[in-house]
Amino acid sequence: MSRALIAILAAIVVLPLVVRPAIASEIWIFAIFGLGLNLLLGYTGLLSFGQSTFFGSAAYVAGWLLKHYAINVFLALGIGVAVGAASAALVGYLCVQRSGLYFIMLTFALNQLFYFIAYQWTGVTGGEDGMPGIPRPDFLGIDFGEPLPYYAFVSALFLLSLWIMKRIVESPLGKILQAIRENEVRAEALGYDTARFKLAAFVIGGAFSGLAGVLYAMLFGIVPLEAIGFVTSGNVVFATLIGGSGSLYGPVIGSFVFIWLSESVSTLWARWPLLLGVAFVIVVLFFRGGVVEAWARFSAWRERKWRSSRQTG
Amino acid sequence: MAILETDRLTKSFGALAAVSGVSLAIEAGTLHSIIGPNGAGKTTFFNLLTGALAPTSGTIALDGRDITGTPAHRVPHLGLARSFQRTNVFPAFSLFDNVWVAAFARAPSRKGIAWRSADRYPEARERALAALADVGLAGKADRPVREISHGEQRQLELAIALAASPRVLLLDEPAAGLAPEETKKLVALMRGLKGRYTIVLIEHKMDIIMSVSDRVSVMHFGSLIAEGTPAEIQKNAEVRRAYLGGVAA
Repeated sequence: MSRALIAILAAIVVLPLVVRPAIASEIWIFAIFGLGLNLLLGYTGLLSFGQSTFFGSAAYVAGWLLKHYAINVFLALGIGVAVGAASAALVGYLCVQRSGLYFIMLTFALNQLFYFIAYQWTGVTGGEDGMPGIPRPDFLGIDFGEPLPYYAFVSALFLLSLWIMKRIVESPLGKILQAIRENEVRAEALGYDTARFKLAAFVIGGAFSGLAGVLYAMLFGIVPLEAIGFVTSGNVVFATLIGGSGSLYGPVIGSFVFIWLSESVSTLWARWPLLLGVAFVIVVLFFRGGVVEAWARFSAWRERKWRSSRQTG
Repeated sequence: MAILETDRLTKSFGALAAVSGVSLAIEAGTLHSIIGPNGAGKTTFFNLLTGALAPTSGTIALDGRDITGTPAHRVPHLGLARSFQRTNVFPAFSLFDNVWVAAFARAPSRKGIAWRSADRYPEARERALAALADVGLAGKADRPVREISHGEQRQLELAIALAASPRVLLLDEPAAGLAPEETKKLVALMRGLKGRYTIVLIEHKMDIIMSVSDRVSVMHFGSLIAEGTPAEIQKNAEVRRAYLGGVAA
């Protein structure tokens, strides 16, 4: 077992003892969301500013079915994944036609389009009031209504997501996406239909976002309008960059930092986003690889110091 | 028989005809050089052959089959691979990953592409290692690109093209920016590749052209002005005027 995996397992066990289980659950849910974004941002080099489109769409559709038809919890998750992937296929198909700034603006504009649909369609989404009353159905006698069983459920799904993402980034697809990030013209000249590969990254990322969206809706029992808003899209980019977009575990650490700061510090100090802003500036200026890179550099520095003290001592 | 043939191939950018009515036949198994002053349209000609640019008019045929208008990402699968004049690699990758991506593009099967570990494609792996060995970089497979010299990057550029197991190899100034000793090594390498592949070579350095080419075509202002063996081209008066200019006169 790798050290990263041991650290994550330990965090899963310790976290509900330190913070409220709802926050602990939110951390892993947001981490799943971040894993999906990072396939685009970190591996393919595509900055999507519209990930909440997939997160929110899945939350609304699965939430509505849970509420009105009391569907099975796994069916709800499956539908969420499918809605996330399908909406990402639609949005991604349009966005991969353009690159650079135009690409980013398209992801943002389409996100706004979905947002206003949710805002206007009050009969289904509840508009500004959100869609409340989403149940967490029992499964095989386990009461997911209780915070801890639900936390365990979320943690297991997070580990499954992490494993799947690890397989994907270590597969040929993962390497091809990185090749597109490094040099799209050459990747195309080698015989890869880069638009199709970028679309694949969107669809996979959308599936992860959809899973996170449904888990989020069940966690809080409501789909707030913000779930499909641009602030949510921005937050997941923010968290992923702080954690480190260059590595598999970056978004997990980013989610941890982001949710923990927003949920615990915000009760003490209303201006907490200032802290995040400072953290973000530090990352952009000094640690482009986020917390993951900062940690790697710190470890290297400590080792050098340890070696030199042994030589002199 | 000509493996690659263009018929009155033309590319215009507005009023400028960068490539103008070029009809060229490349015989299978030969090394055919294209020379010409800067701006003669040689690289544009390559961009047309590889589908990076669409021709304004004219056709391209591979094995007698019209491939004009084939999208850039399909062309390598027809057996056409190119290297670039300016090193065009994957900077954050190791040398091995650079050639592996090229080799996998032409893998007979992409089964398990999103799920199986990238290490578990032995055919692509062998082809990648063979390409590195061909250019003499086998010992540096695990090194990142930023740690190797400019000359080695030029060799890597070539290895990426080789890893795609092409039938026709389009080389765009492989010796660009090389020191004299590195150039000598490259010439030796080209001699080794000759015969194994059909090679179309764009080059400026006359000593390379004259020592490795079977045939030479001369481009000037987008048009072909002469074609022949290296010896014939050297004697050709028009070529001397156009290409060598005042130096030879």
